[in-house]
Amino acid sequence: MSEKVNVILNGKIIPGIKGETILQLAERNGLEIPTLCNDPRLAPYTSCYVCVVEVEGLRGLQPSCSTKISEGMRIETHNDKIAGARKTALDLILSNHYADCIGPCMQTCPAGVDVQGYISHIEKGQYHDAVALIKETNPLPAICGRVCVRPCEVACRRNLLDEGAPVGIDYLKRFASDIDLDSKNKWRPEIKAETGKKIAIIGAGPGGVSAAFFLRKEGHDIDIYEASPKPGGWLRYGIPEYRLPNDILQKEVDNISELGVRIHYNKCLGEDIKYAELHKKFDAVVLAIGSQKGTMIGVEGDEAENVFSGIDFLKEMEMTGKRYDFSGKKVAVVGGGNTAMDCCRTSMRCGADKVYVIYRRTEKEMPANPIEIHESKLEGIEYLLLTNPVKVNKDKSGKVESVTCLKMELGEPDASGRRRPVPIPGSDFELEVDYVLAAIGQKTDVNFTDDMNKAVKKGELKLNRWGDIDANPDTLQTGVENIFAAGDGVTGPATLIQAIAQARIAAHSCNLFLQGEEVVPMPGEFFSARDNFQSQVQEDYIGKYPEQKRHEMPTLNPKDRENFKEVELGYENEEVAYQESQRCMECGCTEVYTCDLKKYATEYNAKQEGLWGDFKEYKVDFSHPYIEIDNNKCVLCARCVRICRDVVGANALGLVNRGFDTYVAPSMGESLTETNCESCGMCISTCPTGALSENVPFKPGPVKLEKVQTICNYCSIGCDLELEHKSEFVMRAEGRDGLVNEHGNLCKYGKFGYKFINDTNRLTKPMLKVNGRFEEIEFEEAFNIIREKIKAVTPDDNAFFAGARLSNEELYLIQKFARLGARTNNVTSFHYLNRGHGYVGNAKANVPFEQLKDASKIYLIGAEVNRDNAVLGYMINNASVKHDVPVELVTNMDHSSMEHKVGKTLKVKSYYHFIKAVNYYLVANNFHNGLFIGDNCEGFAAYKEDLLKENFVDLVEKSGVAFMDSVIEFAKAYNNEMNAVLIFSEKEICSTASSELFNLAMITGKLGKTANGLISIKEKNNAQGIFDMGICPTLGVGGVGIKDKELVEKMKKVWKVKSLPKDVNESQFERLERGKLKNLFIFGEDPLGCTEDKVKVAGWLTVADFVVVMDYFMTDTANQADLVLPASYPFETGGTFTNTQQVIQSFEAGFKAKSGLNTLEQLSFLMKQFEIKQKSKPEATMAEITKLLPSVEKVDKFIFVSTEENNDCRMFDHGCDYIVKRFDDEFSNAFDK
Amino acid sequence: METKVIVGLGSCGIAAGAGKVYDKIEAIKNAENLTFELKKTSCVGMCYREPLVEIIDESGRYLYGEIDEERAIEVIDKHVGQQNPVKDYVVQSDLFETVDNTFTEDQVKIALRNCGYIDPESIDEYEANDGYRAIRKIAGHGMSRLDVIQTMIESGLRGRGGGGFPTGLKWKFANNNKADEKYIICNADEGDPGAFMDRSVLEGDPHSVLEGMIIGAYAIEATGGVIYCRAEYPLAIKRLDIAIVQAREKGYLGKNILGIEGFNFDIYIKEGAGAFVCGEETALIASVEGQRGMPRKRPPFPAASGLWKKPTNINNVETYANIPWIIQHGAAEYAKYGTEKSKGTKVFALAGKIKRSGLVEVPMGMTVKDVIFKLGGGIQDDKEFKAVQMGGPSGGCIPSHLSHTIVDYDSVNATGAIMGSGGMVVMDETTCMIDVAKFFLDFTQKESCGKCTFCRIGTKRMLEILTRITEGKGEEGDIERLEELSYQIKDNSLCGLGQTAPNPVLTTIKYFRDEYEAHIRDKKCPAQVCTNLLTYTVDEDNCTGCTVCAKNCPVDAISGARKELHNIDQDVCIKCGVCYTKCKFEAIQLS
Repeated sequence: MSEKVNVILNGKIIPGIKGETILQLAERNGLEIPTLCNDPRLAPYTSCYVCVVEVEGLRGLQPSCSTKISEGMRIETHNDKIAGARKTALDLILSNHYADCIGPCMQTCPAGVDVQGYISHIEKGQYHDAVALIKETNPLPAICGRVCVRPCEVACRRNLLDEGAPVGIDYLKRFASDIDLDSKNKWRPEIKAETGKKIAIIGAGPGGVSAAFFLRKEGHDIDIYEASPKPGGWLRYGIPEYRLPNDILQKEVDNISELGVRIHYNKCLGEDIKYAELHKKFDAVVLAIGSQKGTMIGVEGDEAENVFSGIDFLKEMEMTGKRYDFSGKKVAVVGGGNTAMDCCRTSMRCGADKVYVIYRRTEKEMPANPIEIHESKLEGIEYLLLTNPVKVNKDKSGKVESVTCLKMELGEPDASGRRRPVPIPGSDFELEVDYVLAAIGQKTDVNFTDDMNKAVKKGELKLNRWGDIDANPDTLQTGVENIFAAGDGVTGPATLIQAIAQARIAAHSCNLFLQGEEVVPMPGEFFSARDNFQSQVQEDYIGKYPEQKRHEMPTLNPKDRENFKEVELGYENEEVAYQESQRCMECGCTEVYTCDLKKYATEYNAKQEGLWGDFKEYKVDFSHPYIEIDNNKCVLCARCVRICRDVVGANALGLVNRGFDTYVAPSMGESLTETNCESCGMCISTCPTGALSENVPFKPGPVKLEKVQTICNYCSIGCDLELEHKSEFVMRAEGRDGLVNEHGNLCKYGKFGYKFINDTNRLTKPMLKVNGRFEEIEFEEAFNIIREKIKAVTPDDNAFFAGARLSNEELYLIQKFARLGARTNNVTSFHYLNRGHGYVGNAKANVPFEQLKDASKIYLIGAEVNRDNAVLGYMINNASVKHDVPVELVTNMDHSSMEHKVGKTLKVKSYYHFIKAVNYYLVANNFHNGLFIGDNCEGFAAYKEDLLKENFVDLVEKSGVAFMDSVIEFAKAYNNEMNAVLIFSEKEICSTASSELFNLAMITGKLGKTANGLISIKEKNNAQGIFDMGICPTLGVGGVGIKDKELVEKMKKVWKVKSLPKDVNESQFERLERGKLKNLFIFGEDPLGCTEDKVKVAGWLTVADFVVVMDYFMTDTANQADLVLPASYPFETGGTFTNTQQVIQSFEAGFKAKSGLNTLEQLSFLMKQFEIKQKSKPEATMAEITKLLPSVEKVDKFIFVSTEENNDCRMFDHGCDYIVKRFDDEFSNAFDK
Repeated sequence: METKVIVGLGSCGIAAGAGKVYDKIEAIKNAENLTFELKKTSCVGMCYREPLVEIIDESGRYLYGEIDEERAIEVIDKHVGQQNPVKDYVVQSDLFETVDNTFTEDQVKIALRNCGYIDPESIDEYEANDGYRAIRKIAGHGMSRLDVIQTMIESGLRGRGGGGFPTGLKWKFANNNKADEKYIICNADEGDPGAFMDRSVLEGDPHSVLEGMIIGAYAIEATGGVIYCRAEYPLAIKRLDIAIVQAREKGYLGKNILGIEGFNFDIYIKEGAGAFVCGEETALIASVEGQRGMPRKRPPFPAASGLWKKPTNINNVETYANIPWIIQHGAAEYAKYGTEKSKGTKVFALAGKIKRSGLVEVPMGMTVKDVIFKLGGGIQDDKEFKAVQMGGPSGGCIPSHLSHTIVDYDSVNATGAIMGSGGMVVMDETTCMIDVAKFFLDFTQKESCGKCTFCRIGTKRMLEILTRITEGKGEEGDIERLEELSYQIKDNSLCGLGQTAPNPVLTTIKYFRDEYEAHIRDKKCPAQVCTNLLTYTVDEDNCTGCTVCAKNCPVDAISGARKELHNIDQDVCIKCGVCYTKCKFEAIQLS
């Protein structure tokens, strides 16, 4: 029992455990103390100083990660002094954090749309997800995708490359939105439970409908009152259709009204509807009235006929549906903004002879979108730049006749930063025109305020000095507490995206108000930005990203534009969108959702500019195929360095330089690939920021990911992990604190071996080979064929092979189908084919992994744990580093992956002969443990007799050790070791050698004790299940002999059958070799792909009449099959795996099976063909298995087994699993490059 | 008796040319077949007079200073050949008044008892001067480990590396922690700028350090000893190597030392790569273990878990050098010197704007003023004493008005400075205190190991502010910002380096705030050090139009025709000061 210590934590007496740190105590008590440098897997380090607390009686503040508690200690974890110190620590770190949390696109967008995120979705064809993400902050993406002013594209860093063209952000948005808009399953937001609160929104422009969207999502009841007959505001009445078609506008508005938002048209506030009425009916009002009045040019004569404000010109046409006829006329548009563009291009479409744009500065200063200017020129608009109208001249009838203009030149910059135009004296000239359109501004019409204030009881709706609605800029609450305002009505004429952004703020505030909470601004988030340090220049980026020209959007031929058809046609196809998405440079950090630094910076209101000064700029290191190092983001907590040294043992990272110049770098080399790095990704898992991240072959966004829990299906250690995905596209794997892998440790397989999941070449349909080519068929047909094939032959002409990667439930159903459906005991796995019986009992003597630290010595014999089972490797290394347990390696390799981690290495050529020689020496010299053998073992005498027939010198020679003394020394040392744990792997150790290792452990009396004995490592995740589920002609469920009476009775009862197949053909290998098998059923194995002897294996497949393969992909074996079934992934099926230590672990079916039927369901349907009723749920299957297990577990004695030969005849590599092979190949290829 | 000629061959002597002097004397001796004993010793402390040659004959001791080869010929010829001492060159003698007698009069030499007197490469000479008597006393008198520790406690000796932790107590803790292996480490990683006490002891009397370590090993039952010495001290390492070999040969190191059953102990040297932070105990241990020299949080203290996680005792060179003397003469004899809480003597390295820069050992309790003026001879060029920096970059300055402060741990601490390892850098009126603070902070900032946030980035930011101030870009609030950061760094740093790094800034702000304000508000450097704040102008009355200044100006900032008044273009001037030094008519004014 751990000793208790009483401490006073924040004034409360709390029992602590002696030896624990303040941080551990706080965490156990659910109190979060921020820390960057602490990882429970590692000894405290104490560098970040973010975890400081106050301890009474101690000077200054104490780092809680390394301060141990003591009796009566008085600890404060939160007060002003502590918060101040934490903030300063964060300020200091941030002052040298030359990195972007989010890209400049998102940073610049007034609505904060996550551009990088939705580009990531578009890359993957996840258009609905893209729309969902956009609509978190912008409910009008199809509209925005056409007419947004695109500050994001101005800020885009692609501008620095590729001749200054940004990523086509807006085009991409439009592409995704158009697909969503036209699809049947378009994205709809979730609406929260109805609140019963009623809100009136005034105006159905972009601000009004956006506010409605955000508030409706919160479950409020919304009525919109719109003065015009149709929705959209200036989007409809100001923007001509060739830019924004009305049907697009209508569809997006409809999307919102379909959520249950009512829009009342032709209701003008103050006229058609009085505020008093609203006041009675509604709990809150949002004013989204826009800026409705056009401004005239304000020069002499502007009252002349045919002089309009531009927006009135546009609006009138939309209202009346009638176009002006400008045929033969000359039109002058005054102004340089987007309205001017709309006016001039519309005028041209109304048939004008000549259209001039008069603008007093140069084109560079024009606020209009460059693309608009470009298009207008294509359409024949003439520009009179540096020109200012000073007088409108009328003819006798009062119609405009001409405009007098002055030429201008640019002077000093004005308040807006643009150079002020100055008239050139005497430069005046006259321009003959028939129409003048003034596109120089708008004003807010606020004639309803009196009506409103009359009805208001508390507060007053006021106007600001520009005549717009006065509202708190941060909350958009007006002087009346339940009236909020958004859009142009507050800001004066501004952009669409600003109106949307404002609508979100007003909605947020309104929602707070309605929930009875204090109306406070939306919480701010800390964002680090490179631009905070210095402006970004081309040199920083050139050469770092592949060059790729922007794909411009196809447009209507300028000749075909004498109409109002949409000019921009949208991207041609998905491939174009994909290609454009690849231009995104992913400026924002992939860890933005998980970064601790960002989280604490937000929490403590830290500032990047708080303690400005010199900063470090590092090159991002992409040289490792899986691990990316960005020192700019590093906080020097050294967690990566320490985890690599103390847990992994690779020592691949180190700290370089001193003081402010310190940085993390690969040890002794330029690149991580030149170190002992094992590519396990443990450094990534511990990094508190994004300094170490995964180098992925897709755009991770980052987007918020969903998680599905599973058990790693590579090796037999059994690590618990989570696949993090978005719409079943898996983007990362993270370890979970599992039964076996404590603290979520993972190796390269678990961490990086998920990418096959996203492979679109996955099998999703049964495939039948017809005339040498595969054709998709339905499941029904496939199952019929199988039934007929089985029925056509005698039962023992069939053989079933099940892979060691399958779940217990799958394995069970396969053998059940074989034995009950096909009526044969011919069921086995290629993985163990012809490898002897020596592995059967391996699970029996597995020292629990957690006892490794208590061993006095660890022996590794033929166990490349670093390479194959690294998580076990961490436990061994940890035992060695933390508990000083010495480790000795016996290997037959020239370069073992373990050599640099062990204290001693002994090289052998044959494990079998080496072990046998050791046994010989011990037995021949009577060093055996007679007491132990007498009590616990059987067969020693016979074994001894057999063994001593051998020749010691001969054995030593065959073992290949350099000196006989090495064998003797080893034998003596092992025998004398108090607590020796000997680890071996089935991959390296043949089954007879495995038997001899058991003999060795028995001879020395090292079995069945704590921290003493053997650990066998199976190759595959569920190799143990092969034995436990009866994937063996001679074994049934529970690893019991198939003829065992109790088992036979149970099988008959549970399977509801009178008889079971009688014959047992022990060696399927022999039957394959002799071509005795007609039908082969291969589940989850790729013998052809995984063998060296392709001729032999191909021969087996060719000789058989009918071969069925079930797998995820078209493997080499599947390619040779007659029928291929699509297997489901473990996390599509659910079930259990049994690890090498017989720990049974379950995993969920978090994904849907891509084929529609998961593996268990397919097996169940297959059984149906044989009139066998079979439940397919994994839980039900497991319940059935349990019924078959032996009632009492027999405690067997250990039995000495004499062996005769070194049967090192493993035929299949990679555990005979396509997935392992694929990863192994990818892995080595990645490093070959 | 045979006349002895002893040449001081410490690093300071060798640097001044003592090696050549020695060779010259040897050559004369051989050539002229003179009969005198030519010997080597190390630094006696009067570094300002190197090379030093001491001649001892029947009449007494004569210490010759500033002896070059030419003078060596003269002195040997006259003094040894003709028994006619060259009094002009004698800087110190028992026989008559000399210019430097005051340098030694008030010193009490315990740690430095053999430095400059014996040949450091001869164990026989060490033994002849009571060497290894202490450990023999322990063996012979059967002093138990606890007796030794008790003696150390009673002596009142405190750690001379700067921390001032009672040595006896430290040993007691290490002794209380039982383990199969224990270590004793000598911290010889002296890194303070301007400090060379340890180097002198190691070069001058390595055996005293070894003996101190052997006694410590006996007291705490250590099985192994390590001297962590910076690689920049090659001579010290060489002499330690020699001393260790000699001590092994004589059985002071090895198994069953001096017949004490089971007392097995040996010493190895670990060369440090010159990282200042490795003077910190835990960083030093990490470095010995072959890891990056970075500190860790204490507790556990090394006494409980140190080198290879075993109980470890670490003391500094000077501490060890005191130990044999204390054991030999008794605790009471040692405790006679010093003040109530600071017993014994302390070695100081005098440097900076002081007349006699060198090494002194004084009893605790002497005033700073006496050390500087009586021993150090006062300020160079008789300029005005402004302040003294004590404790190196971790310490602080004591201004002239506090020069009555006595040297003991508590009195020095009270000023905001620290005793440190004994560096005293003396500053006069021409020193800019912000420049001084910047110098030390620049040092600590560069020497920070980079581990903890506040030390790594905080000191950098402070340095940037100081730099700005000295460049005339200081802003209102900078002083407060410096103070705020200082306190945060002191509170939130892992090791002594960070915890004390702001001290030079804090003490200069405390005592010389007006200087900071002058830099920030008036953009003036009162000591006229910060070049960016200086303005060079031409004095109308004194300028003769000689054109020397204009000719020498490297940037052609000075204009003016011959025999006419010259003018300096302030926009072009780079404030190099060449005009100021070249002008013969004091016509260039500095403000």
